[in-house]
Amino acid sequence: MASRRRMLLKVIILGDSGVGKTSLMNQYVNKKFSNQYKATIGADFLTKEIQVEDRLFTLQMLILPFLQIWDTAGQERFQSLGVAFYRGADCCVLVYDVNVVKSFDNLNNWREEFLIQASPSDPENFPFVVLGNKIDVDGGNSRVVSEKKAKAWCASKGNIPYFETSAKEGINVEAAFECIAKNALKNEPEEEIYLPDTVDMAGSSRLQSSSSGCEC
Amino acid sequence: MHETEQHDLSDDADYAASQHQESTSNLSCDSGQATDPTESEVVYSKENVAIHPSQYASERISGRLRIVKQGSSSFLSWIPYKAASNAADSLGRSLNSSVSDKDINLYTIKAVSLSDICSIRRHIPTLGWQYIIVVLSSGLAYPPLFFYNGGVREFLATLRHHVFIVRSADDTNVFLLNDFQDPLQKSLSSLELPGVIPVAKGASLHNSSDPGSSIVDSVRVNSVTSSGTSSVSGYRGRLKQKSHDPAHDLSIQVLEKFSLVTKFAREATSQIIREFQDTHELLYEKKQKNSAALPSVTISQPDVKPNGTQRKEDLVETPDMLEFDKPSLVWGKQRQPPLTHEEWETLVDSEGRVMDSKDLRKRIFYGGVEHNLRKEVWKFLLGFYEYDSTYAEREYLESMRKSEYETIKSQWKSISEVQAKRFTKFRERRGLIEKDVVRTDRSIPYYEGDDNLHVTALHDILLTYSFYNFDLGYCQGMSDLLSPILFVMRDESEAFWSFVALMERLGPNFNRDQNGMHSQLFALSKLVELLDHPLHNYFRQADCLNYFFCFRWILIQFKREFEYDKVMHLWEVLWTHYLSEHFHLYICVAVLKRHRMKIMGEQMDFDTLLKFINELSGEINLDAVLRDAEALCVCAGESGAACIPPGTPPSLPLDLDAGLYAQQDDEVL
Repeated sequence: MASRRRMLLKVIILGDSGVGKTSLMNQYVNKKFSNQYKATIGADFLTKEIQVEDRLFTLQMLILPFLQIWDTAGQERFQSLGVAFYRGADCCVLVYDVNVVKSFDNLNNWREEFLIQASPSDPENFPFVVLGNKIDVDGGNSRVVSEKKAKAWCASKGNIPYFETSAKEGINVEAAFECIAKNALKNEPEEEIYLPDTVDMAGSSRLQSSSSGCEC
Repeated sequence: MHETEQHDLSDDADYAASQHQESTSNLSCDSGQATDPTESEVVYSKENVAIHPSQYASERISGRLRIVKQGSSSFLSWIPYKAASNAADSLGRSLNSSVSDKDINLYTIKAVSLSDICSIRRHIPTLGWQYIIVVLSSGLAYPPLFFYNGGVREFLATLRHHVFIVRSADDTNVFLLNDFQDPLQKSLSSLELPGVIPVAKGASLHNSSDPGSSIVDSVRVNSVTSSGTSSVSGYRGRLKQKSHDPAHDLSIQVLEKFSLVTKFAREATSQIIREFQDTHELLYEKKQKNSAALPSVTISQPDVKPNGTQRKEDLVETPDMLEFDKPSLVWGKQRQPPLTHEEWETLVDSEGRVMDSKDLRKRIFYGGVEHNLRKEVWKFLLGFYEYDSTYAEREYLESMRKSEYETIKSQWKSISEVQAKRFTKFRERRGLIEKDVVRTDRSIPYYEGDDNLHVTALHDILLTYSFYNFDLGYCQGMSDLLSPILFVMRDESEAFWSFVALMERLGPNFNRDQNGMHSQLFALSKLVELLDHPLHNYFRQADCLNYFFCFRWILIQFKREFEYDKVMHLWEVLWTHYLSEHFHLYICVAVLKRHRMKIMGEQMDFDTLLKFINELSGEINLDAVLRDAEALCVCAGESGAACIPPGTPPSLPLDLDAGLYAQQDDEVL
């Protein structure tokens, strides 16, 4: 069981509506981009067979936009909802659109949302990866979030690896997901134990950690 | 085949009740009740034999079990007492009966020839009621018949005089009837009872035992209501030892369903469902369920069973058949062609009133509507138009609504950008809508291309709606619901008001408190529990009982699961609320059932299941699923309706006057 479990790497992709989560996933898995993606309803799920350090894994990628609709805070009854989807997550990918400042500002909410819902056993060291997407738009002229600003935020959250991507042009997508997979692999397998009340948000946000950024 | 022979075994409830009054204390072997003077003879009669359609004591139906001999043939019948006598039945219990005569008649077992019976499984627990399950050669089974006064042994003993019976070598509680040289029965029985039937023909014809001998085994009738649950639980505990038997996987509800479907099929379509399942467990005693996994989590796969014949293949849903929608498995009525303009003309009177709204809804339920007629008919289905409105009234309504729409629209239209800068809520809402309309059905020609005016109309309607219903605002999924409506209406105001009418029912799907979705997912889990208990058990064991994998189906009424024209067809069927307001949930069950063997066979976990369900998009045969859902809805009957909490969308909220749709509760089967 344990060995089988390690063969699966589960990645949760979060971020504001329209930042390109589905596009990134499809670019990575199918090497395709379409202008006609639909807004994800419920959850989207793709898998890809990958090789990391000479071992084969199935990378499961799950997009969960509904949490935008469903603010679970204070709704104890539905806490299980997030848990069901986040169960066994090995890595969480936070996506924003470099052309929309709000989507960047919301990264913190997404991160906290994940930590509350997934309740990883070691929240301070749980692997996140941040992607700033749509760098291709208007040749970069409509960009409102600078790389520097994004990196500063990532550094403040325990050196979260950061990538600038274009799902449309396929820029940096492969590298980002390689990093995501490696980080997922580093995650300890104990995250299936849920300790819902142990998340210390204040603590987790000022962590000292030398989190293993991907120097890919 | 029995039509001419069974007139003495009337299935009429009144008749049965009157008979019941006459015969007071017969427990068995009463031969004095033959009503046909020529040749039928009642060779066995047993009072207080009951069917439990649900876990509710108030819904139990008591009746009389009889064996009647007519010439060289013998027949088994079970005639329920009239509803009134069930309410205060002969057991002396004062039941607050919620069972109608209609239900009672549905469960009636008309004279079934003993030669059509394949096997009888008996259950004689130390505590609790004895019961039997009668399985027909066709593969159908009747629901368990509970002998409140005991007496299963003497029933079987009597039966031996009238039909060839052998005891199964595999299960001493299974009695096989009739000639196993018949290839059909052979195949059936070999599947039902893996292994062989080694007992030689003609062996073990016992003498009749003392009819009263085993009555002492049974529970005292007057303590039944209080002791029922605990004794059943004790019984189940013992049964767990036998968990290797695939028969354990299958629930009594399933049997009940098959029984109902038999009648349904016989009466309505003559299409017989051939599924064959059996059970040992009193799983319908839902109160007894706890979180512990039942022994039935290992689901047998039909393809590993030693099933012999192709015929048998039909009886069990195999993955192949499930996925390729083999017509022979389709249960419901044949789908009809869509309602045409000519037909529509005949359904409205000279002033434009729909003469029989139920008739219209029935017609649409079975066939849908021709596309060019949708613009008009959808407004009725959605509740924008009243069925009894005239052409003139509707014309007036439209013009009023049109200006009303413009008024609401102007509310946001007049917000300047300077204002918007200081109006975050508005900007966010508008932003979400803008993001979504440009990715809503853009491959449909109507919404295709840059600067498409219809996309703008989608945007304007949604933003206007978010002002019309500011509390609800905009949520992802709404653009999916609006798109076909605008496509049909081709008019902004008409589309808006139709959408408003739809959202009166589906709005709760998007409520922030999640109650609308939650209650539907809950109802779905209850329906699956009722209609496919093994699958329910599997979901429980796999921790999938939240049914979130069906979230998209329900949120936007399968919009993403079918092609555009199929979606329109499905929606008009759903909006008829003909068999049930919650027909969409039966569709969920139907789709899940079609893939049940794959889901269970591959032991899908939550993630895999989610992916699998998502990928069914575009792969579902709508007509087949509609027919399955229809049959399931009919089968589930009141028990199904009881699974769905009041106020569950798309029911109108409880505190509103149901108005237009008030009548429909009565029409739910």
